[in-house]
Amino acid sequence: MNRSTRITAFLGLLLLAAAAQAHIASNGFLVAHVEGRTVNGSYELAVRDVELAIGVDANRDGRVTWGELRAAQPQITRYLAQHLALAAQGAACDLTFQTMQINDRVDGNYAWLPFTARCPSAVSELTIRYTIMEGVDPSHRGLLTLTAGAAVQTAVLDGRTAHAAFAVFSPSKWRAFVEYLQAGVWHILSGIDHLLFLLSLLLPAVLLWRDGRWEPVTQARPALISILKVVTAFTLAHSITLTLAALDVVRLPSRLTESVIAASIIVAALNNIFPIVTDSRARIAFAFGLLHGFGFASVLSDMGLPHGARVVSLLAFNLGIEAGQLAVVLTVMPIVYGIRAGAFYRRGVMPWGSAAIALIATVWLVQRAIFPS
Amino acid sequence: MQGRLRVGCSRFFCSRRALGVALICFSVGLLNVSRAAPHIPANDADVVAELPMGARHSSAPSQALTATRLDVALPLAQFDIAQARTTGDLRFLGYAEAILQPWLTQAKVAPQVLVLNATILQSRHAFDASLTELDRALEVRPDDAQAWLTRATVLRVLGRYDAAMQSCKHMAAAADAAITTLCEQSLRGLTGHLEDAYASIASLPQRDLPPEAQAWRYSELGEMAERLGNDTAAEHWFREGLQIAPQDFYMRTACADLLLRQQRAAETLQLLSGYESMEPMLLRIAIAHEQLHDNGAASADAALSSAFMVEQQRGDSVHRREQARYLLDVSHQPEAALAAARQNWGVQREPDDILILLRAAHDAHQPQAAGPALEFVEQQGLQDVRLEPYRKAS
Repeated sequence: MNRSTRITAFLGLLLLAAAAQAHIASNGFLVAHVEGRTVNGSYELAVRDVELAIGVDANRDGRVTWGELRAAQPQITRYLAQHLALAAQGAACDLTFQTMQINDRVDGNYAWLPFTARCPSAVSELTIRYTIMEGVDPSHRGLLTLTAGAAVQTAVLDGRTAHAAFAVFSPSKWRAFVEYLQAGVWHILSGIDHLLFLLSLLLPAVLLWRDGRWEPVTQARPALISILKVVTAFTLAHSITLTLAALDVVRLPSRLTESVIAASIIVAALNNIFPIVTDSRARIAFAFGLLHGFGFASVLSDMGLPHGARVVSLLAFNLGIEAGQLAVVLTVMPIVYGIRAGAFYRRGVMPWGSAAIALIATVWLVQRAIFPS
Repeated sequence: MQGRLRVGCSRFFCSRRALGVALICFSVGLLNVSRAAPHIPANDADVVAELPMGARHSSAPSQALTATRLDVALPLAQFDIAQARTTGDLRFLGYAEAILQPWLTQAKVAPQVLVLNATILQSRHAFDASLTELDRALEVRPDDAQAWLTRATVLRVLGRYDAAMQSCKHMAAAADAAITTLCEQSLRGLTGHLEDAYASIASLPQRDLPPEAQAWRYSELGEMAERLGNDTAAEHWFREGLQIAPQDFYMRTACADLLLRQQRAAETLQLLSGYESMEPMLLRIAIAHEQLHDNGAASADAALSSAFMVEQQRGDSVHRREQARYLLDVSHQPEAALAAARQNWGVQREPDDILILLRAAHDAHQPQAAGPALEFVEQQGLQDVRLEPYRKAS
């Protein structure tokens, strides 16, 4: 081969410079949502790239069928496990992929795999090791979309910077405080079981049990004191167990706590219809409040406590719960106080309302104790 | 270690003048548009991917072979680069890169490896890096005609015509005379001697040229005819060239641009039918649908914008000119188009790069933005009738 023929063999390449033609280069799409110690998301790699990396065209006919790809899922997840790793604050997260699906993109079909990663602690700094397509296509890039709460980050991952670290939560304690305060408020307002328990204890606060029947209090003061005692006892109790559980000092199985929470509502509601404890409901509030604290803690363990702001976040979450609780009490109790003297309240709301609460709680009890999710 | 982190959109897409684009970016970009939701195919027999030639998994032993034997690595890398050229499939550049990688990390890199790497870099529009590799190769082998020719081509794209001409002359000693003529005359055609250069290339006897030089001759003649204002001749050259080199899609896009400029949208669609997977072709298809005001526009537009989004997120700059053209002719955002065209002008300076900048500046009512490009045109004596209306306007 002389020099000039070698040149002409290459000549066509030159036209590329002027042309800039192309399909899209190889990309893997990594979407990750961080929520506490859990990272949920999906990873997508073009079927073509899957073939190049591990070989899935079993019959070598140049076409990959869904059957061939599906049969290769174990190899695919093994390959991904070798080349994609997540870590929280440097400690590895446990990554599991779920059933593969197909996603149609502008440059062809992609193998789409949803995943869940469980990290040892709440993620404040997510480290990603990404070496997919290493050795077969150095121009491959991982395109990351990382979300945590309302914050969205995008980044390009490639083999040259094998480890990329992302700050997930702003280290600002103030931000963590606000975030957990909101979470606490939201949890108590949407956590109807806690509210029903509290209501069951508060409904009789404007009444007195005398001679086998409910009578309205004549003065505001005893009602106010009664409400204050119940709310304080409940708050004190659940704060204690919430703290213990959130800091991993005590742990209870959620099936047990959830069932006992349902039972506590039944007890409190039945006590309004067939009063046994009439003057120290604060004790019921305290005793069961301990269990409710474990219930709050389970929410917090899903969210996780941000590294470096654990105490602040726990305090904020607790304050949020109290604030939400206070809002409900301040809304409901003046109304209840206003209608306490009427028959509607004493013979309608007290017995039948309590019965309805007890019935709902019974359904929950059955669900939680016998058919836990 | 901190990753290359970009929050939200890149600077270009979030620039003040590109608000419309920013909106697209936020609505479709962040979660990486896909066309449908993930699903499980109905049958195991459903084909989920057709594998192009040379895109198969290769076993560890054959990978080891390309890492240890240069005589195996070079032709394979050449094959992949050629595949990238004929199919427009950028992934093949990555495959070639993978083959060259172990050879590039050696203490003394073989000049052939450097030249191939330069070709890959040039194809990615990493022009400066490409020139560096070529200079390294030429240090070892000062008479490497291929390196000189590639160097001339890169410098031409950068608008450094004098340096490009030097490279053509260096090549002359070792290369085919016809190729040297093409190299030199194509540059003279950009620097004030268009008619002359056109005649000179036209008189090169076609049958004496090797096949790929034939395609180069045709596309060069077509472009020169266009710049001279002879659209009939230009179309003749492009069509004839496509007869002998149908896979040459540089020529095909040039032909499509000519037809689109003449508002011949239906013929454009005919010309590009079957090339939809190539982004630059898809751009011309979208423009054709725009001209026809038919309902094919939406799907081409959606595919293009998602492809651009992915490239944007990747940080690829390969399709900068196409992005400007898309913003101007498909999504009708002249300000954003101007921003993209100016950015493109900062890198590459071919007549088409000048044309898109002038058009965008005109449509965005900012003629002063075209100033530097017009100055370049004056300095070089570049002749191009397509630029005339905009030159007069400023």
